Amino acid sequence: MTKEQYGAEAPDRATLEQYRAQARTWLENNLERRTRGEVPDRSPWDASDDDVDHLAAQRALQRRLYDAGYAGIGWPREYGGQGLHPAYDRAFQEEARAFVLPHLGIAGGATYGVCAPTMLAHASHAFLTAHIPRILAGDEIVAQFFSDPDAGSDLAGVRTQAVRDGDRWILNGSKIWSSGAYYADAGMCLARTNWDVPKHRGLTWFLVPTRAPGVTVERIRQINGNSEFCQEFFTDVELSDDDVIGEVNDGWTVTQTMLLYERGGSTSQDSGPPPRRAGIRRDVLELAAAVDGLDDPAVRDLVAQIHVDDLARLALGQRLAALMAADPLRAANLASYAKLASGVFDPIRANRALRIAGDRAVAWDDDDGAGAGAALGLLNSRFLAIAGGTSQMQRNVIGERVLGLPREPSFDSRKPFRDVVRDARGWSGSVS
Amino acid sequence: MPVGLVPSPSDEQAMLLDASARFMDAECPLATVRARADGGGYDDRAYRKVAADFGWFGLLADEEAGGGSVSGNGLVDAALIAAERGARVQPGPFTGHSVVVHTLATARSHGDLLAELVRGAAWATWAFGPEVSCALRDVGDDLRLDGTIAVVADAGDCEHLLVSARGPAGLTQVLVPVGAPGVTVRPIEGLDVTRKWFAIELAEVTVAPDDVVGAPGAATEELVAHQGQVAAVLAAAESVGAMRAHFELALQYAKDRIAFGRPIGSFQAIKHLLADTSLWLEMATGMVAAAATALGDDRPEGPELAHATKAFVAEQGVELAHNCFQVFGGIGYTWEHDQHLFFRRLAADAATFGTAAWHRSQLLDVVGVGR
Repeated sequence: MTKEQYGAEAPDRATLEQYRAQARTWLENNLERRTRGEVPDRSPWDASDDDVDHLAAQRALQRRLYDAGYAGIGWPREYGGQGLHPAYDRAFQEEARAFVLPHLGIAGGATYGVCAPTMLAHASHAFLTAHIPRILAGDEIVAQFFSDPDAGSDLAGVRTQAVRDGDRWILNGSKIWSSGAYYADAGMCLARTNWDVPKHRGLTWFLVPTRAPGVTVERIRQINGNSEFCQEFFTDVELSDDDVIGEVNDGWTVTQTMLLYERGGSTSQDSGPPPRRAGIRRDVLELAAAVDGLDDPAVRDLVAQIHVDDLARLALGQRLAALMAADPLRAANLASYAKLASGVFDPIRANRALRIAGDRAVAWDDDDGAGAGAALGLLNSRFLAIAGGTSQMQRNVIGERVLGLPREPSFDSRKPFRDVVRDARGWSGSVS
Repeated sequence: MPVGLVPSPSDEQAMLLDASARFMDAECPLATVRARADGGGYDDRAYRKVAADFGWFGLLADEEAGGGSVSGNGLVDAALIAAERGARVQPGPFTGHSVVVHTLATARSHGDLLAELVRGAAWATWAFGPEVSCALRDVGDDLRLDGTIAVVADAGDCEHLLVSARGPAGLTQVLVPVGAPGVTVRPIEGLDVTRKWFAIELAEVTVAPDDVVGAPGAATEELVAHQGQVAAVLAAAESVGAMRAHFELALQYAKDRIAFGRPIGSFQAIKHLLADTSLWLEMATGMVAAAATALGDDRPEGPELAHATKAFVAEQGVELAHNCFQVFGGIGYTWEHDQHLFFRRLAADAATFGTAAWHRSQLLDVVGVGR
């Protein structure tokens, strides 16, 4: 049972079963079983809390997986992974479902789902040697330093800048909406490195340690009571060429990869198989029952409206999966439909729940989960209409790349970014 | 352009769709539909015969009855046809006729008539109403049927009506020849000019025991509920076809029409409207495919999906039609432009074979949120 017999090529049935059996034994001996009925927490709003001990325990758990060869199962061997065929990874994940896995929160999700895969696609050998093993071991949690306060949807318009100074880079500016950055060890940061070329051509990615001199991380208190979003401030932060990910001034190429991983992550849950028996979702029924509304024709119709749209969204997921399978080249653009559906229908759903709840969602007793739930649902409902590409951005993608409508005229894609910022201040609407 | 109800149809389905589409484009293109809407006559006997030869009317009947599906799921096959028909706003009571075929095949009743309907030798439709509005009385050897059904599409083209009525033995379905004494099929004006509209009045219509379909009572309650779900899927499939065609027309117009020095589709006001509209369209299409698959395979979620689908398509179909109309601007108000055919069709479809509200209430019943 040596590990050398497993490889990058697709395993035969017997080999995979043997791998699975070994994994199962290891899991039994090393991880805690999940209690019955408990589901793995994948909620994007649930970050690791401030509890330092809790985070240390999660890192230790990740280290245990790494030491046993169960972290980065499909990642390159030279960077601490196992270099195995994806079938092994799937087998391990299936076996591991019954066990409590390390939960590194929303920044952990970004680290393993978005940042590290992007690094593997673009960073230098030296960079990957330095960082990927640490990431796999749980020693380096990497957040995304993506949007600027001044540039969200217009991501290529970021103004956080890195200026070359001898063999150093000096970083100044600010990043915002970085999920879980307060407990991350570093952030992947998009910075402007050339102001004299069009906006997409003067960008570079850096890895910025959160504890470097000149970096401050502040948590943002959100309307739903959480505060896992952060804002970072950079004041003369010193970086080196070793911290660069991808080519200098070719950051937009890296960004494309990153957005692809990010979108993939946000849509995978929609493309699963349909539930055998749909049925009305429990939150709605419980809410309607809590307000004694199941005899009220108006409430009943709202319940039915919510259920109809829930089913329509499931059907959309199935249709998109089928369309993507029929034409994989369209997959990335078609994924915008799933995102737009969330952005459009989450608020509609929340509004209907609010109408069912009536004044129970305006004010409630401590033990009234139904009213509080409807109120919280309202506050959370626009999350996917804004985060990770607003509904308007999805409509542009659908309009231009799916439906083939002509693009809007662009006023900033050809001229040096320095002039874009200057000209925009005096914007009159006339195009010379 | 095909509706693409199913992204990857089987070879057999693709052949059927391709042949059917070419046949409709040749035999009954929009020009013919419009001529009929303008009061011109259209004798569709030849149309019906060719369609029957393609197997359109046998998809929901078994092979014994001269029918048979193409894919193993006849409802998916019929929905594929319905969608292509909807895209071309085709005349004729396809949904009602298909329901009657399915009912007779399911109840193993009236084999001769069933064969005739499958062959396309006659049209029949289900005189559907949201509530049962007819009654049967026992008068000795026969029964007498009374009542009215307010609106039935294309009943005037039909030789037979399937009527649901309350009778001495509970809910009962009977076949009524349109020419029988006491049957009045009165033409009325309608929003959708691509269909003909009728009110049906039944006064002292003699019904022989042989005219009854299946066993009255619980079995018929169940069958009628199932008919409502099959009708919901097929009617929604026709709507989705009309939605696709209306949307494609508006999309092309947004690319062709120039204003303020640009194609209007380059403006986000139009682009975003069309993006949202295409989302409704994809969701509606996905729902019809899911419902046809589940109901046609007798899966437990079939009835739930069928009602939800009709409810969703009814409302989003009208939304889509409004959005498309807005993109056309003034030209959309002209009789000459085809857009009003789709606008009318989608608005009328929203109410035929049950409104969105009616289907939502059925939906709550089938998922067991009873009153």
